[in-house]
Amino acid sequence: MPLPKEAGKIHYLKSLPKPSSSSSKEEWVERLEKKIDNLEKEFRAAQTSASKSEILPLIQNLEKRFQEVLHSFLSARSSGSNEEFEIDEFGMDPALVKKVKPFFNFLYYNYWRVSVKGMNQIPNEGRGLIVSNHSGTLPYDGSMIAASIINEHTSRKDVRFLVEDFVYHFPFLGTFIYRTGGVRACPENAERLLETNHLVVVFPEGIKGIGKHYKNRYRLQRFGRGGFIKLALRTGSPIIPTAVIGAEEIHPLIYKSTILARAFGIPYIPVTPSFPLLGPLGLVPLPSKWTIQFGEPIDFAKEYGPEAAEDQLLVNKLSEVVREKIQQMIFENLKNRRSIWFG
Amino acid sequence: MPQNKKKTSKEKAIALTGTAGFVGSSLLRELEKDPKYKKIIAIDHQKPPFKTEKTKFYRLDLTETLADSKLLEIFEKENVDTVVHAAFPVSPPHNLTWAHELTSVGTMYVIDACAAKKVRKLIVASTTEVYGAYATNPNFLSEDHPLRGGFKSRFLRDKIEAEGQFRKFAKKHPETCVTILRPCTMLGPHVRNYKTTFLQNRVIFTVMGYDPLFQFVHEEDVTRAFQLAIEKDFPGVFNIVGNGVLPLSKVLNLAGITSIPIPAPFLYPAVQFLWYFQMIPAPASRLDFLKYLSVADGKKAKEIMEFAPRYSTKEALLSFIGAQRLREAHLMEAADATS
Repeated sequence: MPLPKEAGKIHYLKSLPKPSSSSSKEEWVERLEKKIDNLEKEFRAAQTSASKSEILPLIQNLEKRFQEVLHSFLSARSSGSNEEFEIDEFGMDPALVKKVKPFFNFLYYNYWRVSVKGMNQIPNEGRGLIVSNHSGTLPYDGSMIAASIINEHTSRKDVRFLVEDFVYHFPFLGTFIYRTGGVRACPENAERLLETNHLVVVFPEGIKGIGKHYKNRYRLQRFGRGGFIKLALRTGSPIIPTAVIGAEEIHPLIYKSTILARAFGIPYIPVTPSFPLLGPLGLVPLPSKWTIQFGEPIDFAKEYGPEAAEDQLLVNKLSEVVREKIQQMIFENLKNRRSIWFG
Repeated sequence: MPQNKKKTSKEKAIALTGTAGFVGSSLLRELEKDPKYKKIIAIDHQKPPFKTEKTKFYRLDLTETLADSKLLEIFEKENVDTVVHAAFPVSPPHNLTWAHELTSVGTMYVIDACAAKKVRKLIVASTTEVYGAYATNPNFLSEDHPLRGGFKSRFLRDKIEAEGQFRKFAKKHPETCVTILRPCTMLGPHVRNYKTTFLQNRVIFTVMGYDPLFQFVHEEDVTRAFQLAIEKDFPGVFNIVGNGVLPLSKVLNLAGITSIPIPAPFLYPAVQFLWYFQMIPAPASRLDFLKYLSVADGKKAKEIMEFAPRYSTKEALLSFIGAQRLREAHLMEAADATS
């Protein structure tokens, strides 16, 4: 009794019935059971017709096929009928994102009442580097910029924000942030995202920005070493300068304790008017009114080419150009703002 | 493999070290099947775990002194032109001195013998564990990322040091093609090491609040990568990984393992304590891999070696679990039959 040629190969697995939306899981299991029954019949037939020396490879083959049926069953059980609910390569879990969406929407619409200017500056397709001022102790601003694009842009959903790596040292927090779409800030990750034509939100101020003293609010810190310019040049991505107003007041930082923080392996412990005075309650951010403004995209790559990434002097100059532009946008918005709480 | 045109000179041979280990033995099995390879030399202190036809076995312990001259003797006698070095301990051993002798010093002996014989090609089995698990790792580690796995673990420090020896050798002898393959965690129906032991448990401890991404490669894909490296010349380092990632929680879910999360400050000393009493298959330094990310990028192997893994991360895991279930079913049947 000859066995099918494809037995014992991975292709065979692919040819197995997959549960589709039309057929229920029970039906599919029934079909699998039928398939196993057939296998058994084949085996019984082989047992009577073949001699003893021939039967051993047959058993092995059948065993392998059985294993594959089992394998595909397990695989179907785990994925269910919805293929989209799979974790992506940076660990974002669409199911969790869906679950926490109401919370972020509450923050977006009701708590910080975000108003967005210049949404038309976001390209409808292709890669883009959204460069913004950073503040707020926790990466709320990144998630709000991402939420603004997902909520208000007509076509784009593929936006990811980069997060300082210190949050990944914390239990729960790091896991939560990467599951909901945050990506650890490093050139390799940003390059990979841009090459797959994502919109990437970066904060060149980095840790200096997020831990800004309250008296320095809305004053941009040094823009790192111009890594984001190199990134834009190398990947040919336009830079979209962005100003976030309101985020710098949610956790007014009045003191940073670095000595205590060293014991926990974090850069600093923030002291605000409410934290640690009110305990965990002090971690609730203040309800300021936010404005996010997207500026006109700047395409340095077209002008200078990817080789310019090696020219450190030029990179520094371009980084300063972007910084000036964002600082200007911030000042304009602050001029028109009448109240921190009501905009 | 290029055939020797001169009839007078001896046929060129391919030598494998560590043929009693998993990578060595599965590669040997594949080479045995392939008619392209006429002569295979297996070097280990134990015989290969199956019957061989065209393989010549030499019993040699790489930790003994003068192993290098003995190796050279074998290489000269059999006219070896390709060497696959896979004689490394995989699971963290309790006897670190022995591990050091085999990993670091054994590598030195192999390299010295290869340099003396002027072999044409040298292929080395490494692991992606050499990158280490850190919160500061990029999501996909490329081959030129610094190797930071050795800070906490002496065992991995030796592995990194051995890899360094090969890179130094490659620089010094540009005429020799040196390929270093770094497969990630191997899974499949046959592979057995400390990680599969971990996945065979019903209940395990995890680090509370951490759920890093994992990556697996199927055992057949690893063997195929080695075959590719033998067939053609690919100098350099290559990550051999399956496509896709799975978070630890999903891995445990698929394997039907219940996890008990314990806060890191309690778990680390407890695991180290159990390790000293040999009640656990890995020391506390390996807990970092349950805490932080250590996922490698397989782009280079895909582009240069044209290595396309047939199993994704998830498929490799399911292949392992499927075989596991089947084995359990067999055991239950056997128990029923005897009782």
